[in-house]
Amino acid sequence: MQVFKVYFKVMRGSAVPLVINLGIFLGIAILFSAVAPKVSVANFEATKTPIAVVNRDGNTELVQSFINYLGRSYRLVSYPDNEESLQDALFYRDVEYIAIIPPGFSDAFISDKDPVIKKITVPDSVSSHYVDMHIDKFFNTVRLHSLYGKAESKTKMIAAAIADLDIDTQVTMRTSGKPDSLNEPYSHYYAYCAYALLAMIITGISSVMITFNELNLHMRNLCAPLSKRNIGLQLAIGHSIFALGCWGILMLGSFILYGRDLFPSGLIPLYAFNTLTFAVVSAGIGFLIGGFVRNSSAQAGAINVIALGMSFLGGVFVPQQVMGEPVLSVAKFLPSYWFIKANNAISGLSAFTPDILGSIYHMILIQAAFAGVIFVITLLLSDRKTGLLSHCR
Amino acid sequence: MFWHVFLYRFKCLFRDKETVFWTLIFPILLATLFYLAFGHLTIEKEKFNPIVAAVVNNGAYQGNIPFKRMMESLSEEGDSQVLTLILTNKEEAEALLKEGAVSGVITVSDTIGLTVKESGINQSILKAILDDYGQTAKVITSILSENPEAAAFFFEELGNQRNYTEQASFSGAAPETNVAYFYALIAMACMYSAFWGLRNIIDIQPDLSATGARRSLAPTHKIKVILADGLAALSISFAEIVILLVFLRLVLGISFGDCFRFILLTCFIGCIAGVSFGNFIGTVIRGNESLKNGILIGASMAMSFLAGLMWVDMKNIVSSKAPVLSYINPAALISDAFYSLYIFDTHKRFFINIALLCVISTVMYAVSFTRLRGEKYASI
Repeated sequence: MQVFKVYFKVMRGSAVPLVINLGIFLGIAILFSAVAPKVSVANFEATKTPIAVVNRDGNTELVQSFINYLGRSYRLVSYPDNEESLQDALFYRDVEYIAIIPPGFSDAFISDKDPVIKKITVPDSVSSHYVDMHIDKFFNTVRLHSLYGKAESKTKMIAAAIADLDIDTQVTMRTSGKPDSLNEPYSHYYAYCAYALLAMIITGISSVMITFNELNLHMRNLCAPLSKRNIGLQLAIGHSIFALGCWGILMLGSFILYGRDLFPSGLIPLYAFNTLTFAVVSAGIGFLIGGFVRNSSAQAGAINVIALGMSFLGGVFVPQQVMGEPVLSVAKFLPSYWFIKANNAISGLSAFTPDILGSIYHMILIQAAFAGVIFVITLLLSDRKTGLLSHCR
Repeated sequence: MFWHVFLYRFKCLFRDKETVFWTLIFPILLATLFYLAFGHLTIEKEKFNPIVAAVVNNGAYQGNIPFKRMMESLSEEGDSQVLTLILTNKEEAEALLKEGAVSGVITVSDTIGLTVKESGINQSILKAILDDYGQTAKVITSILSENPEAAAFFFEELGNQRNYTEQASFSGAAPETNVAYFYALIAMACMYSAFWGLRNIIDIQPDLSATGARRSLAPTHKIKVILADGLAALSISFAEIVILLVFLRLVLGISFGDCFRFILLTCFIGCIAGVSFGNFIGTVIRGNESLKNGILIGASMAMSFLAGLMWVDMKNIVSSKAPVLSYINPAALISDAFYSLYIFDTHKRFFINIALLCVISTVMYAVSFTRLRGEKYASI
């Protein structure tokens, strides 16, 4: 087992990039799962659009009640009346609606002059429509009361209008019985595993392959009393153990970070199967790159291009739902697309019915097929190369 | 002599395929991936489209004329269409809801109810519409009970709903959040100019490379060599950034605002900051080339991360939670300069960014120069 032993000696040389990749992955996974919004699904909750109200009209009764009314339906974020910071806030969607109440608004309103509130929003956006509805409703109701109501004072008139607005339509939630876990942190973790598996496994396997494929070393190995088949087999065992090890570390990471939510979900075997298949795909790609690439700088380039490219196009970093249709139809030719699709299906699994499970296995099988094709291509190409080498001799 | 050194340095750097890959091809590739993954348009995705809802077509719905009228007017085709209604029976409606074809199911009985599958903005709007109906009914009862004579004019006024909002904007630029990813990407590319700066330092210091040792023996004045090298690095990196910019603008269609000369100025100052950062790392960090390279990659990635490359909100979070960090991070300053050009009509914030970048670059150049100047070698 000399080759096998040497395998891990060579691997030690790539320890630093491997650890860096693992570190980056864990950092990203923890950060993103910390910021991912957790949607509660038991009861209906109306969207609390973040809005900023800039009041240039002073503390009149009307304006105060209006702001209080908005505060019941939306999340009021207070911002100073400063153009630059308001623009920043809208650009980064800290607020989705800026309502500027102009000076003299209340007086104009009371004297039925139809003043307007200046809104600064993403033009024609959903949230802009949503907030408009409430603003118009509030002022129209107050107007009706001021025109036809018989309230003794302005305070009572506004109070009567607000009382009329106090309606809460009954909303029933139809859930599938199990909360949708697409937003569970572990679902994100497993999705990012695609990047980590690609980066780590390709780095490790291709580094070893580059060393073994070095022309002089390769020729020396061919003189050795070990058969080519034997060397190949030992290398293959090395590749498999290394890929399994990477996969094992990532699985262990998920148990440590999310074990409490993950174990009761019963989804571990499915996630494990999916990530393991993708690890095999990554090993295939590592094998292919190792056969092509000659030096470490070209290797670094290739790894980055492939790992980032596959992750972005497959929907690892940006959810597939957000991506455009034409891109997705091209992405179907990438194993990462099927990995993420399977991952989403597992996360959204509502019941372990044969047809849902069947579709998940189908997606995993497609990845396995990719792995098979990649291995076959690599072997065919490497056979051609050895042929050339024997020609040289 | 100066131009001679410059020309050969330029050729040397230009033929360094590996660095050309990382400083030019890699950013272009990453930009393409960004573009394919999430596009550059934020607004298109937030656009309001009529909400598809199912209404259970029962006797109660057909009997509730005012509600039916309201639903019909909201689903009238045109610019102000809010709903797309599907009239169907209860089972069908539930099935549509289950498969996600409708956002909600409206059921009229004694009361009006909404059934949804998830909480979201479309569902919230549906609820607001139903609330609106209930509120109007309540207004009618409360006003008419107080003032029955008003009935004659009241209903006419009720149909005459007014709009109390008016769209305004601070500047002509649309708040397309995703363009910030591409600004952060240019910032990253500028910081990658540091690879050229670092190569220059390695090729001029006798203890770091054979080339450095040979060049130190040459009778050319060192300051001339340093300046010529620096100019060569700057020319290459500026050319690369301009290529990237042209690619982003013309191929991907990313908007940068209209101030063309200021955009170029930002690129130029960004390259200076990048190259000076490479010089700084090369002279201040003691160790071999791979260590310096590692630190350079790590530092530029960290700076780009804080400038919003991986997560666009990061830049805003840093500037609100730890403003100092965004004033000393060249990548954040570069991407903020682009952002300011894009979104603001005034250039105050832009020039603050540029001024800070100049200060940071000057400090880094000064430190590296004093380090280089004082070098004496007992043995190499």
